Amino acid sequence: MIRMSWRRVRLLIWKEFLQLKRDRSMLPIIFIMPVLQLIMFGYVIGTDVRDIRTAVVDRDGSVESRLVIDGFTNSGFFKQVAAPATEAEMQTLIDGNKAQVAIIIPEGFSDDVHAKRATQIGIVVDGSDSKTASVASGYAGQVVASLGRQLYPSRLSASAGGVDARVRVLFNPTLRSVNTMVPALLAFILMMSTQMTMSQAIVKERERGTLEQLFVTPIGRAEYLIGKLVPYVIIATIQITLVFTVGTIWFKVPFNGTLLVMGSGLALFALTSLGIGLMVSLLSRTRYQAQQAMTFLMVPSMMLSGFVFPLESMPAVLYPLSYLIPLRYIVVVVRSNFMKGSGFSALWPQFAAMAIFAVVVFGFGLSRFRKQLND
Amino acid sequence: MTTPVTSDEFALDVRDLRKEFAGTVAVDGVTLAVPRGEVFGLIGPDGAGKSTLIRMMATVLAPTSGDALVFGHSVRTEAHSVKPRIGYMSQAFSLYRDLTVRENLEFFAELRGVPRKEMAARSARLLEFSGLTEFAKRQAQYLSGGMKQKLALAATLISEPDLLFLDEPTTGVDPVSRREFWRIISGLHRQGITVFVATPYMDEAERCDEIAFMTQGRIILRDTPAGMKRRVPGRVIEVDVSDYRAAMPIVRALPFSTSVEVSGEHLRVLVSGECETCEAEIRSALEGAGLTVSRVRPAATDLEMAFAALIPTAALPDRDDDAVPAVAE
Repeated sequence: MIRMSWRRVRLLIWKEFLQLKRDRSMLPIIFIMPVLQLIMFGYVIGTDVRDIRTAVVDRDGSVESRLVIDGFTNSGFFKQVAAPATEAEMQTLIDGNKAQVAIIIPEGFSDDVHAKRATQIGIVVDGSDSKTASVASGYAGQVVASLGRQLYPSRLSASAGGVDARVRVLFNPTLRSVNTMVPALLAFILMMSTQMTMSQAIVKERERGTLEQLFVTPIGRAEYLIGKLVPYVIIATIQITLVFTVGTIWFKVPFNGTLLVMGSGLALFALTSLGIGLMVSLLSRTRYQAQQAMTFLMVPSMMLSGFVFPLESMPAVLYPLSYLIPLRYIVVVVRSNFMKGSGFSALWPQFAAMAIFAVVVFGFGLSRFRKQLND
Repeated sequence: MTTPVTSDEFALDVRDLRKEFAGTVAVDGVTLAVPRGEVFGLIGPDGAGKSTLIRMMATVLAPTSGDALVFGHSVRTEAHSVKPRIGYMSQAFSLYRDLTVRENLEFFAELRGVPRKEMAARSARLLEFSGLTEFAKRQAQYLSGGMKQKLALAATLISEPDLLFLDEPTTGVDPVSRREFWRIISGLHRQGITVFVATPYMDEAERCDEIAFMTQGRIILRDTPAGMKRRVPGRVIEVDVSDYRAAMPIVRALPFSTSVEVSGEHLRVLVSGECETCEAEIRSALEGAGLTVSRVRPAATDLEMAFAALIPTAALPDRDDDAVPAVAE
């Protein structure tokens, strides 16, 4: 075999960038897409539920009952939209989707508080939107707990009376979903851009016949591959830097991790992603085919990686499949590192899994590349 | 006709080359030697296996069996020694459409290791020679068909190869550009470059030193254009007549005519043997049918006629004598 020539590799990289520059539709896609995705996922898919439509049935009508209502509405999670007089009226509001949550303060509530007796308030949650329901009941628990401390100031704990609902959320006290979304998005955007561009890269040259032309030159397989990979690695690096910057500055996501751990995790994942893109590019005969294959692969990555939907909520039958999704591992790495500052010692199983993926996928890609033109 | 020689004298020495694609045989045992400095033409119908044969010789496709030696180097085991000495122009335009003429030239020059100091001079010379100087800054996709082909040729020539593979280089190119293209090829020939060209055009085949006819994956005829024509039994008579369409069946029905075709303004008739009375017989047959015959005269055989006459007799060799291909005597 011929020795690797950096002159040829540099030439290929130069050519690739020149083509990118000429392709007017590519540049906006490369730089605007990641930011758009960040905004989309940060705002739209975000699990933050605010201003939940709330109906309040205040049968007590006292200073204390007002305190309870203010406690809910001041939290920002609940917004009072109605004050029905009876529970039957309240039911109608919930059935008609006018209210998602109802708070019922029974008669004699203030008496119980004055007498320092344990008391109850009723909270009705519309379970038809399970996501909002679980978030709402969680918030309600938090609100009630803080009310308990306000209404029963003398007690050290609320265990003997008041309301005992205490939820403590670790690492993400405000439960801002954007804090978990941005780190995962780094990985997701990296995957999208490397796989998408790479899957098109070689099949395009094959479709146009330029690959055949290259094969008559002294260029080696390794040189060609490196020349193809490097430009997309550079672009992906720029993209994730962009997402990281916008995420930490605009969305104010606190970064508690280390660039070394996160960077090496993302680099390892990028290898896997590029490898998958390469594989698709080599197995496809047309760019359309490659695009279809990528779309097909993207769905399980979204669904089974824990990126959007928690792994825990997955049906037991599908759960084992999630081990086959490389995104699953990097999502854990970036999230843990970003929020908790977890290091290699805690994350080595994920790193190991990604290393195995990278080796297998690239091994397959290379062996396939050898056969490339023989059919 | 081939005397045993060392493979050194050949630019190309193909030995029983075969290629199968998922059960279908595209190239079915081709053996062929092309002397250095020759312009060698490969003709044959679509699907004959011409492109597959060329792609194997140009090292872009691995043969199923057999081998091809390019200047003594095997395309199977020494492709790295073959590549620097050849240029390959595929049938479809295969340079980067979104790069300019100059960028394409420079890219392939660098890739093939043309020394930097020679690059400017060479690309200037090639641009001049292909008439592309004023289009140097134009992206390849905005060139006309003929200019694209000339650019592709220039890009393969930039590394100054000794052997050039051209796969139907002028298909879809206007007649003026075709002529110009062949003028360039003649120039290369004079410089001693060996050219192996597949072409569907008989007038192009006529310009080659030697031609081979390929069909169904095999080469069934090989000779010089003149030799091909000499092999044709009989001679050609050219007839100028008022109504070709009416004349054809009449001439075809004559016992001595073996093939009739319309070529340009003339009816060309291949007659068997010397047939001294043929001209008169054709004239009387046509005039007897009420047609006006302005001229009947002997003419030279052309390649088209030669193939029409020779191909039916050049049966495919039996599978058993694979080793005796090329020339069907």
